[in-house]
Amino acid sequence: MERPEIKNLIISSLNPGTDTEPIARQLEDEGVSYDYSNKFTAKVLDKIFEAGLTINREQEFITKLSSVFYRIALTGVAAIVLLMISIFIMGGSFSINSLLGIGDTIDESIVCLLTGN
Amino acid sequence: MKESYTRADETELIRASLDGDRMAFGEIVNRYRKMVARTIRGMLGDTVYSEDLGQEVFVKLYHSLSEFRGDSKLATYIQRIAVNLTLNEIKRRKRFLSLFSQKGSDEMYEMEVADENKEEKQEAKEIVGKALMALDPKFRIIVTMRMLQGYSTKETAEILELPLGTVLSRLSRAQEQLKDILQNL
Repeated sequence: MERPEIKNLIISSLNPGTDTEPIARQLEDEGVSYDYSNKFTAKVLDKIFEAGLTINREQEFITKLSSVFYRIALTGVAAIVLLMISIFIMGGSFSINSLLGIGDTIDESIVCLLTGN
Repeated sequence: MKESYTRADETELIRASLDGDRMAFGEIVNRYRKMVARTIRGMLGDTVYSEDLGQEVFVKLYHSLSEFRGDSKLATYIQRIAVNLTLNEIKRRKRFLSLFSQKGSDEMYEMEVADENKEEKQEAKEIVGKALMALDPKFRIIVTMRMLQGYSTKETAEILELPLGTVLSRLSRAQEQLKDILQNL
């Protein structure tokens, strides 16, 4: 194919209505073809399978596991907050006694409780 | 595991690849390597980096295969990965070159392609390569999709995730630019 013909082919491939598949094939026949080296596929597979990279499903499992972990952690935080609110309502403060649940007890009753008298 | 997947359909290949079948994914690579090479070499020229980038495309495909839902063709999905990685590479090189030179990166690609083609002595390839490298990257990708891959404007818009109108207007501007470039070749 002559130089001007090639140029016309290139220009015509950009006309919106043109079927460009035959043009691409024609250009390929004229030597406009691209490929990688013979070892390309082997190199790709080595990169994926021999670099110790795990399979997608394994990664998917890890992702799901971490999302489950976050959900459990959030539930735990929510439970702690509710507990703190209930302690504050019942004990009126966040003192050690309130946290231990002995805010309203008097010393004598604890002695009685511990000694059994 | 099968011994050969040459006649297997895409769904089977994807399923087997997800199960870690090396042969199955190898078949996917063999089926689409030329297509990826056309996109990357069309955009970057025949540089040594284009092979590395091609490998990166398939590695990325393997790791995102579980996200492929089959809404589009596998070829379209691979093209999107190739286009995104290539555009990122162009941006990265432009940033790198701007640190050392006031000239754009395209000049470097042009030189690389010209050198390569001196050895190959393929006139058509030389014209196409030089014309592509002289184009603005945003036009170059559209020309690559149309001229080298043979995609319709609708398919090009789908792959590049651009509105059809944008593709059509860029196509028309690319054609104007290309006419000027080809006059000087």
